[in-house]
Amino acid sequence: MRQANVEADAPAVADPRERPRDPAGARFISRGRLALRSAYWLGALLAPHSPERPAPVAAGVTRELDALGYGAIRLVGASALLVGLITVFQVAYQLAPYGAEIVSARALAWFVASEIGPIVVAILVVARSAAAIAGEFASMSANGELDALRAMGLDPVKYLVVPKLAALLIALPALTAIAVALAVIGGWLGTAVLLGYNTALYLEHLHESLAIGDVGVGLAKSLLFAGLIGIIAADEGLRVERRVAAIGEAATRAVVYCLLGVLAADTIVNAIVYFIPGLA
Amino acid sequence: MIELPPAAPTGANALEIHDLTGPAGSPVLHGVSLAVPRGGTHVVLGSIHAGKSLLLRLVLGLQRSDHGIVVVDGTPFDAARPNEDELRRIRRHVGVVFESSALVSRLTLLENVELPLVEHTAVGAEAARAAATELLREVGVAGDIDRTPEVRSRLDRRRAALARALVLRPIVLLIDEPAHGLDAHAAAELDDTLARLQQQYGCAALICSQEVRYAFRAPRAVSVLAGGTIVEQGDLEQLRRSRHDAVRRLVDRRGAA
Repeated sequence: MRQANVEADAPAVADPRERPRDPAGARFISRGRLALRSAYWLGALLAPHSPERPAPVAAGVTRELDALGYGAIRLVGASALLVGLITVFQVAYQLAPYGAEIVSARALAWFVASEIGPIVVAILVVARSAAAIAGEFASMSANGELDALRAMGLDPVKYLVVPKLAALLIALPALTAIAVALAVIGGWLGTAVLLGYNTALYLEHLHESLAIGDVGVGLAKSLLFAGLIGIIAADEGLRVERRVAAIGEAATRAVVYCLLGVLAADTIVNAIVYFIPGLA
Repeated sequence: MIELPPAAPTGANALEIHDLTGPAGSPVLHGVSLAVPRGGTHVVLGSIHAGKSLLLRLVLGLQRSDHGIVVVDGTPFDAARPNEDELRRIRRHVGVVFESSALVSRLTLLENVELPLVEHTAVGAEAARAAATELLREVGVAGDIDRTPEVRSRLDRRRAALARALVLRPIVLLIDEPAHGLDAHAAAELDDTLARLQQQYGCAALICSQEVRYAFRAPRAVSVLAGGTIVEQGDLEQLRRSRHDAVRRLVDRRGAA
């Protein structure tokens, strides 16, 4: 992480334990505002631009896609392969007394597509990027970069938050699709190579159990998780005080709140899908 | 509610600060007033925590004061209740160089300089790029300008920050510790560049610094800030005659150097 250079005249800050806590709900309000402003600038980014005056943040989206999406492929791919293997082994172990180990292929398909795929990818992206996003924004704040943008009459949300948010909204569904495919391959390795079932039988069970709706739910969840991770991590980074110690604190809070946010959102989506007839 | 002064006629000061006070905290300003004539320079001297950076933040509307009026190019705004539209209009005429340079680390030097042009003017991407490249050359940034600031020297970052501040042809430049973190040679080079460009672009400058040498360049108004209050204001001769401790310490430091 870059060494922040706090301005000499930045106000002296007392012991962090003595600082007043945010009033209840302040975080929700702050994140709601940030989400609305980001949505506005995302809309502006998607509006048609002339070739002479391309959207100023378009280059930033490409850069962030490289860092947040492409850079996570190896981690997500390796993890998804292992998750596929683990899922097959765990389910097969439970079903072994009934001689139905091959049913693990059926369980794997819908479970990975609608649940494990998006949630594992989201948790991996939180672990890899949420702290980095919050730490970077906190460092920029301590370094005066946010003030410099404001002083030029420019909205930091447009230049800093929107490229990351747009990149996450593209990268998470793509990573989820990759994760589901690799988890299925991991499941095949487990059932066909290690448990000794033939590939045709595995594919048949997979084909029967994997519904396009499950994949759709998984991808929709990944979009929701992307928005949550982007907004929560950015908000934690942007709301810090101008002091160096705040950088690490913001990064820690970002990971904690992003994980909680992703799990809470997943629970709510699952409850909606379960209780609303026709969605399940 | 503070009464805003009537708009000053064109040709008056580029920047006026009236009775800027607050905000509560450390440091805090107490009734700071000063003026920067068009094309002229006003130097605010003060030691660390005297309130110099706070003064610039209040003038830019980045923080709210308890009360006080700031007038940029004849247009006043209430520093205690800055209106976002007013601020946006006023910031268009103010260039700022922060102590830490504060270039956006995600952007290249060139992108940092062309950003205000792209956002605030109707010029096309190619024209903005050409103008930013030319300005970077004028401030003395050599070599690859398509690199991010963190891989460039501190002097290049200061120069690029100066180019970014000048790119919209501001009426007034606000500069916090111009030579912060630079060695004597680099600092002198930057001072010369600043003086040359200020003359070339005809903009006024408010320079906040701990370094008394800024008061000794060319005829310029000087204010000495101590504990958030201006304890001496005038030209270099007045500074030399002052009996105030804070001023004596600054002038004596120059003598010792």
